[in-house]
Amino acid sequence: MRVLPLSLAVLLGTACGFPAFAHAFLKQANPAPGSRITSPPAAVLLTYTEGLEVPFCKVTVKSPSGIAVQTAKPQPVSGHADELSVPVHITAPGKYTVIWHAVSVDTHRTQGHFSFTVSP
Amino acid sequence: MDVTGWVLLRAFCRGLHLAGFFSAFGTMFLSATLLHKRGALRLRRLAWAGFAVACLGGAGWFLLQAADFAAAQSISDVIGALPIVAGQTRFGTLLLTRMGLLLLAMLLFQRGWPRSAALIAFGGVVAEAWLGHGGAMTGFVGTMLLFCAVLHIAAAAIWLGALPALYVALKRLPEDALLPLAQSFSPLGMACVGTLLVTAMFQFILLITYPQALFTTAYGAVALTKLVLFAALIALAVLNRFRFTPSLPASRPALLRNIGAEAVLGLAVLLAAGLILQLEPPAMADMAGM
Ligand SMILES: [Cu+2]
Repeated sequence: MRVLPLSLAVLLGTACGFPAFAHAFLKQANPAPGSRITSPPAAVLLTYTEGLEVPFCKVTVKSPSGIAVQTAKPQPVSGHADELSVPVHITAPGKYTVIWHAVSVDTHRTQGHFSFTVSP
Repeated sequence: MDVTGWVLLRAFCRGLHLAGFFSAFGTMFLSATLLHKRGALRLRRLAWAGFAVACLGGAGWFLLQAADFAAAQSISDVIGALPIVAGQTRFGTLLLTRMGLLLLAMLLFQRGWPRSAALIAFGGVVAEAWLGHGGAMTGFVGTMLLFCAVLHIAAAAIWLGALPALYVALKRLPEDALLPLAQSFSPLGMACVGTLLVTAMFQFILLITYPQALFTTAYGAVALTKLVLFAALIALAVLNRFRFTPSLPASRPALLRNIGAEAVLGLAVLLAAGLILQLEPPAMADMAGM
């Protein structure tokens, strides 16, 4: 009977060591938030903390002058339920802002924004 | 109606859907187990009533969730989003599949096959867990939360879902059958309560983390409400077990009144569950800035 409380305590301890993320928040992006890159990307790749309902995710990528440069809606990334990719057409250097609205499979909506700079 | 109003309405529909689904399943479960030798006791109408509530709540939830997904500004926005929600989201496909399973279970139950009916409905009950945070997250924490949610939902569905059927059975059965039924339901209820407590504790650690969040966040406040309602439910169950069950059949009216009260509290818990599932768990509030 001593095994049960012990294993429970171990399990609890292990669980506490891990941060829990609920709702889809941005885990990483390519180009990365705040980064400076030399060549313009063909797409912006966003990775979240949860699986996404991509048909209802919205991403706008704005040029320094405020013009939207994304060329299509967010696309699912096959094999990665927590990722989406947004094709962009970037021709000029400058600071680009990514504004995202995500819907995760737990039915929750989240949003955020970040920027990256293109300087050849 | 402002955003909060829509969220509350969606939560209400989801809670109602859960309650109807649970009671339809619980009726099948009780018929398949403790009432198995009581085939003459017809609980079909009760199960259909649960099914109807599950459909009604589910339909409302589906529409309101579609509106929320699409950030709809008009009815036509919602209508445009419906096929996408139904065919291309986990929420939509899961809800429709679960309702399909419950319908199939109902038809089997109607035919007089409560065991297969209960088994199929049980699949529909636990599938709900894949819409929670555990189902959405990957890695150790996600798996852990999903596992907890499956157990939590199963225990709640067996215990709370069986209450309406238990009420009807205790009301209709002959006097000599009351004591065995009430006595055999007790350990089942205890097992469910234990499972609910342990899984709730894990969910607390993973999703709330800090006890003070119970008093400072909306999520915590609803969790606390659930806990208080749960405590009241346990108190009623203890009263049933030690006070009213031993003095059956004389105490039948008192026991029935108590189980009725339990069912009402159970509904309140499920409505609170519908609400908490719409809210942001405190453990991830720090992430919101990114
Ligand atoms: Cu969430």
